[in-house]
Amino acid sequence: MNVLFGSPALHALVLGVGIVSALLGVTSYFIWFERKFAGRMQSRIGPKHVGPYGLLQPIADAFKLLIKADITPDTADRALFNLAPLLAVCVALLSLAVLPLASGLVIADLDVGVLFFLAAGALTVVPTWMAGWGSNNKYALLGGMRAIAQSVAYGVPLVLAALVPVILSGSMKLSDIVAAQAGGHWFALWPPGPGLGAGVLFVLASLAEGNRIPFDIPEAESELVSGISTEYTGMKFGMFYLGEYVHSLVVAALFVTLFLGGYDGPGPDVLALQLLWFVLKVSLVSVLLLWVRWSYVRLRSDQLMTLCWKYLLPSGLLLVAASAVWVWWTEQGGSR
Amino acid sequence: MSVIAPLLDALRTTIRNLGRKPITAMHPFEPRTRAPRYRQSFALLHEANGDEACIGCKKCEKICPSEVIVVGTAAKRESPATGKKRGWADDFTLDLQACIVCELCVQVCPVDAIVMVRVPNAPGFEREDLFLTMKRLYENEALPHAPAIGSSMIASHNPAPASQAQAAAPAQEPGT
Repeated sequence: MNVLFGSPALHALVLGVGIVSALLGVTSYFIWFERKFAGRMQSRIGPKHVGPYGLLQPIADAFKLLIKADITPDTADRALFNLAPLLAVCVALLSLAVLPLASGLVIADLDVGVLFFLAAGALTVVPTWMAGWGSNNKYALLGGMRAIAQSVAYGVPLVLAALVPVILSGSMKLSDIVAAQAGGHWFALWPPGPGLGAGVLFVLASLAEGNRIPFDIPEAESELVSGISTEYTGMKFGMFYLGEYVHSLVVAALFVTLFLGGYDGPGPDVLALQLLWFVLKVSLVSVLLLWVRWSYVRLRSDQLMTLCWKYLLPSGLLLVAASAVWVWWTEQGGSR
Repeated sequence: MSVIAPLLDALRTTIRNLGRKPITAMHPFEPRTRAPRYRQSFALLHEANGDEACIGCKKCEKICPSEVIVVGTAAKRESPATGKKRGWADDFTLDLQACIVCELCVQVCPVDAIVMVRVPNAPGFEREDLFLTMKRLYENEALPHAPAIGSSMIASHNPAPASQAQAAAPAQEPGT
């Protein structure tokens, strides 16, 4: 394993602390950007009064959340209720461990990296259900149950979509997947069809797994008050919020890694340039996701399930089969 | 497919909005343009001869849906201007905090004593701004008031109310 600082443990520690704190900082300004962006999409202004262009709004929000009353309902399961927001953030951060930001700049380059982030993604439902059950509130409970149904359903197309780059590159190691796309052979562009289709499938399934609009039926303000976060106040609510945004950034980063060549880009293979390409691509994908988020209304529960089982799952199977055929065909062509 | 077109349409709408200017009115910080017929607060009027117009009949108090008007009726006494005996109000309060601005009090007033007015800073900055005492209602008299006063609104009824049906055939001027 490529180690930058002394022992592997030290390497993981330094990089982990660095990346996580950088990501948390980026996330708070990502939220500011989203509010500005969404405002303009709806002919509003967005944050304006705290600092120039509302730039200090995230800090003001954090202070506001900190001074709010911290309420635990009498009937709530205290342990589950208080642990859930913490876990929500931790689970969202887990996938970062295997994400190569630049050549060699990865906390732990696991041989089963794809498996790891799929597992971490599937875990996001655990804090959600803990919150739903622990709150002892009917809206939270309904939200939690919906979250489970949604997560179980969308886990399947997510796995199928992530399988396509694995088949194409022949490895489950994320750095190998990026290396297989080096020189502009991004899976979203080549082979035509399976790569791009799997990319779209991956984004849809990840959004659904992270409960983002238009798949936010566990929260569903118009039906469930606030769903799983109904009983949460102050910073505990803030952590759910943070977890959701971290998750959406991580989804964008994973999409870039799996389908857009990761840190691959024109120019020499310098660490700073690779990092720049990676950040640029992730920003672009995040903005696209925001665009989608603020253009659509929430799907109904049954529409969500229909979309998953009737359309995404069969197309996922097709894409996996197509990419397998493609790999077999190119190998035949190579020997010819 | 019938699903794809609306999906793309939604994306197009939002991206087009992104290039437009926000329409937000920075209301408390910058003056806001009001519609010509905008009216927010109330005033009590004097008659041309200088008498207070209100006769303390409590019709407005009774019709008010949110019960924000309280009228204190005084004993009948002679008018200093005409010398005739008539009713008076010695107290009149209107609490704008719960007022739903339905204007029923204006419509029901038999002597055109209460009208709605434009105020520069509506709704107000303190609770006290929203509590209209009799003194403040008479101070508001100087403000520009809405054309709709009780008698003109009654006259514009079509068909005319039964009480005026025989007398008011030519008096149907359209919404003054």
